[in-house]
Amino acid sequence: MKKPTPKKPSARAVLARLFGASAKDIAIEKSVLTGYAAVDGKKVCVIGTCDGTYIDNGAALHLAAHVIQCIERAPKTPIVMLVDSAGQEPNRVAEMLGLASYFGHLLACLELARRKGHKLITVATGQAVGGAFLCYGMFADRIYALDSASVGLMPIAAMSAVTKIPAAVLEKLSKTMPSLEFGAAPFALLGGVEEVWSASDDLPAKLAAAIAASSTEDNRAELGKKRGGRKLALDIRKKVLAESAR
Amino acid sequence: MTGAILFHELTARQRIAALADAGSFTELLPPPERLTSPYLAQLGIPVSFDDGLVIGHARIGGKKIYLAAQVGQFVGGAVGEIHGAKLTGLFKAAARDKVPCVLVIESGGVRLHEGSSGEIAIAETMRAIFECRALKVPTIAVIATDIGAFGGIGILSTCCDFRIMTEHGRLGISGPIVIEKWMGKKAYDSANRALVWKTSGGKTKYLLGDADALVHDTADAVRDGISKFLGKSSAVSLTSVKSRQKELEKRLKKFGATSDPNAVWKSMGVRDIEAASLASGPEFAALAKRGK
Repeated sequence: MKKPTPKKPSARAVLARLFGASAKDIAIEKSVLTGYAAVDGKKVCVIGTCDGTYIDNGAALHLAAHVIQCIERAPKTPIVMLVDSAGQEPNRVAEMLGLASYFGHLLACLELARRKGHKLITVATGQAVGGAFLCYGMFADRIYALDSASVGLMPIAAMSAVTKIPAAVLEKLSKTMPSLEFGAAPFALLGGVEEVWSASDDLPAKLAAAIAASSTEDNRAELGKKRGGRKLALDIRKKVLAESAR
Repeated sequence: MTGAILFHELTARQRIAALADAGSFTELLPPPERLTSPYLAQLGIPVSFDDGLVIGHARIGGKKIYLAAQVGQFVGGAVGEIHGAKLTGLFKAAARDKVPCVLVIESGGVRLHEGSSGEIAIAETMRAIFECRALKVPTIAVIATDIGAFGGIGILSTCCDFRIMTEHGRLGISGPIVIEKWMGKKAYDSANRALVWKTSGGKTKYLLGDADALVHDTADAVRDGISKFLGKSSAVSLTSVKSRQKELEKRLKKFGATSDPNAVWKSMGVRDIEAASLASGPEFAALAKRGK
């Protein structure tokens, strides 16, 4: 029997679960989250998206501005990034104005924060797909996901529609190749998510532990190999490093 | 040798041969190593012995560089697990050896047939690119074909210090066909080549400042462009991100309600749209600068 998909909680409910009463200071404007909250009594900066919104040029700038503000006004404060976005809306004007550059700018701001000692922790709370996950969430030091989150490149039905490969074929292959499966758990097998958190977890405690254990060393390829979901990436990378050193 | 052939018409290995000093290129993980995608094999899709990415080291003007070129003819240059791991490895080698890294892009982004692995590889490569930048190791993206840089690779290209484009190159996230499907043919006719190129092409990207150089569609011109950036880097500092924030805010305010790319060209100093459309990349850059 198919497991029921856990019910998706509202944006405010998710914030309250993660940050308790301190979530009240997080602003939600056009489904973009910015503000400060507390984890284990310590201040954190919060940026993110909710309601599965699209991230456009304006949203990227809004997030970037808050990261810059945090670097200037709250040095070394950990930044928690929440992701619930369907991605970038296919839009000609957004493309003409260089949406990719807006995303690149947001990434550069986060990189600056990392270099200046801010820990970067992502929690995928809802949709975390495609470009929306790449433009900030996947750039964190450590990435976590709620088990109710939809994490991955795209669901099999969408993959099938674009590649013209029958969904049944992809479905069958995904049993042995988690990269093709959509969801937080298979994404964790690839090393893309450090740990999946469930509804019964004490999320503030989980978040506090995540911040404490964070490291700027990208460990995803190691995790993917260890967990068996992404068997080749680490070895290929090592081979490049070895052959280039000769 | 390849002078008569346009850069966008060359294959990935020809591009590398034409950019590098004669005989200086050594390929890493070359085709004889037979590293092929297990995903494509399972799906019954032809594989490639380099998984669509040629990487190695070479010299340009005597200076050592790491060099990669994506193979657009192979599943659109899309990034699968092996392709992506080769890319991450190369930028990591560049950071380790403090050697500039040049990526000749030709990719629609993540290889859908391999699912999320390619997406994670792009994220890992972004981290490696910024590792280079923190060490002032130049990272240069060349975007010179109509396959261009799209999807996650479009975003990745904006993480590099510099982007060199030709008028033929395109940079974006969503391509015209996807947008047409989403917004309708009235809003974006993907068959309207002039509109497509004015939306994502090198000329517009150069005007807005997203491409750092707009060069002729020849290997010589691309190599000259690369040479100019090899000694430079673009630091990620508080000053640089604050000024970029202002610039992008200004751009959005100025053009956010504009749907006509000609209006963008005009307000960026191009007066004669017809002449500018027909001008070569460098001529166009000069026209815009002189306000003609």
